[in-house]
Amino acid sequence: MSVCLKLTEATIKFGGLVAVNKVSFELKQGDLFGLIGPNGAGKTTCFNIITGVYKPTSGEIEFNGKLIGGTPSNKIANLGIARTFQNIRLFKSLTVIENVVVGGFLRHKTGLFGAMAYLPAQIRETEKLRAEAMELLKIVDLADMASARSADLSYGMQRRLEIARALATQPKLLLLDEPAAGMNPQEKEELNVMVRRIRDQFQLTVLLIEHDMRFVMSLCERILVLDAGTEIASGPPDAIRNDPKVIAAYLGQPA
Amino acid sequence: MKFWLGRTGSILLAFALCAGIQLLADQQSDFVQRLIVLAGLYVTLAVSLNLINGITGQFSMGHAAFYQIGAYTAGFIAMKFYAGAKLPPELWMILSLLTGAAVASVAGLIVGLPSLRLKGDYLAIVTLGFGEIIRIIVQNQPAIGGAYGLSVAPRFEMIWLVWLLAILCIAVCRNLLKTAHGLQFLAVREDEVASSAMGVNVTRTKVTAFLLGSAFAGAAGALLAHFEGFVSPKMFTMDVSFIIVTMVVLGGTGSITGATLAAIGLFFLPEKMRDLPNFPLGNLVATGIGIVIMVIGFRHIAANFHGKMVERVLRYLAILAIAVVIALVLGPIVSKLPTLGVPVEGAKLRMVVFAVTLIVLMLLRPQGIFAHHEFSWAWLRKVLRIDTDKKVTA
Ligand SMILES: Nc1ncnc2c1ncn2[C@@H]1O[C@H](COP(=O)(O)OP(=O)(O)O)[C@@H](O)[C@H]1O
Ligand SMILES: [Mg+2]
Repeated sequence: MSVCLKLTEATIKFGGLVAVNKVSFELKQGDLFGLIGPNGAGKTTCFNIITGVYKPTSGEIEFNGKLIGGTPSNKIANLGIARTFQNIRLFKSLTVIENVVVGGFLRHKTGLFGAMAYLPAQIRETEKLRAEAMELLKIVDLADMASARSADLSYGMQRRLEIARALATQPKLLLLDEPAAGMNPQEKEELNVMVRRIRDQFQLTVLLIEHDMRFVMSLCERILVLDAGTEIASGPPDAIRNDPKVIAAYLGQPA
Repeated sequence: MKFWLGRTGSILLAFALCAGIQLLADQQSDFVQRLIVLAGLYVTLAVSLNLINGITGQFSMGHAAFYQIGAYTAGFIAMKFYAGAKLPPELWMILSLLTGAAVASVAGLIVGLPSLRLKGDYLAIVTLGFGEIIRIIVQNQPAIGGAYGLSVAPRFEMIWLVWLLAILCIAVCRNLLKTAHGLQFLAVREDEVASSAMGVNVTRTKVTAFLLGSAFAGAAGALLAHFEGFVSPKMFTMDVSFIIVTMVVLGGTGSITGATLAAIGLFFLPEKMRDLPNFPLGNLVATGIGIVIMVIGFRHIAANFHGKMVERVLRYLAILAIAVVIALVLGPIVSKLPTLGVPVEGAKLRMVVFAVTLIVLMLLRPQGIFAHHEFSWAWLRKVLRIDTDKKVTA
């Protein structure tokens, strides 16, 4: 399997704070990879430097053999990396389906002037994007909420909508930032199945941040543990579970 | 084929509507004609600003500057080239309108650039400053009349064209929002970080909104210049920008329907008030008390009553009736007091009424009259439906 994403000593500093410190890891195509660590460990910041929200201070980020560190977010999305947000960032006043259509818009081919004139090509394209969005909503089990305002959805539904919106960009790599946060055990169970299913169906590589240990351990094939910006362990779930450094980091004791 | 038939039909309808307005206006006095023209221009201004402020979420307060740039461009090219060009008036006017739009959109690009870095209040201040700078620069250019102004010859009274522009502006915005293209403008308004993570080019979207919005304002300016036969910096002061912003906010930021109706309403309301008779100050005080009662009552109902729509409307009407009765009864009584008996000139109250309407509306409905809604038959059906679960159910 070819390498999908590779971080080499990626580092970012905010003033004096080193939020991510020389982090290196590699995702093969089709991996289900977990990123865990206590609050403030730098997990979300890792996502932010991969998706171009921030430019890494040093180190390299390689996606499908191409260096992408510092590339603007919208270009990264066009390259095939999509993400969800820990603090849900839906387009609140838009409807559920419109949120997903925005995700699909990067594949548009028709021009703006035609849209202002509402020409047949633009109408067809919009209909096509809506139809594709509807298919994705079925996958995340939100089809019957398609015309609701996205802000009116429950927490768990909003998280699933974020996944559908990310999938609409037709990514090769999907980054999920705490997708199970705020969900009840049953919703988590369903999410677990769903993530696997979409990975297989769309041949995705998935990088996922999660606090719920049981959830990560049962879903991910490999896990990397961050603490205070630095990698403290990595490996398969079983090795991580028993690693004294990881236990210490989570319980707040010196290793 | 069916599409093009329908499209030709709507275009013909738009022309017919404008021709109708022209025919109606031709029979009116100069004063009324002027009102019809200005109302049409304000519709264009409000709807085009709504594209920037409401739809794309970039709070711009300098729209009068683009209006002014269009007007002066039209005046200037008319002064230089009209005599030599020997074009039919309609053709000249369309050329002038396009030139005004083009020059204004260059300015729109320049103002759009700070919007890439500035947000919210900061952008508002910069655009406000930009508007004033343009006005003051023009005021100090003797070549285009300076503070005195520039006369624009010839005068054209193409009322149909004014309304055609307004309809075009509404149609462009409406069309945009019906396609996936329009959604990216809304997405930028809702969340820039999420938009770019979804591949939306936030920079390009914002600049496009500024370009389009200012182009329409520039075209409106060109029409104004030829209608008035005169332009001066005094016609484009900060209050013009404020009034346009007010129209957008009041109509409901993002709603094209709201911007259109608010533009017409806010334009005619103060004009109508010119004919108000004089009355004692006491009546004014009583009206004020009535308004306060109404606001408090309405807010109480909005916060505490969640029953059926009919019952809610009945409660609103009851409060309104109480407020009106109190104002009517209290008025003559308090006017007996010597200090409250002094007469007030009704016509001078125009701006006060304007301000009070605004305050009351912002208290009762901060999201604007239409909020994010657009007029459509489906929307109307939904609003008139008698059950009222406020949450969206499906
Ligand atoms: N834009 C920023 N400016 C300054 N500090 C930041 C910024 N973003 C994140 N940080 C800091 O970086 C550290 C890691 O944050 P984060 O990646 O959000 O942690 P988590 O692992 O919980 O997702 C935190 O201490 C946070 O305060
Ligand atoms: Mg985080």
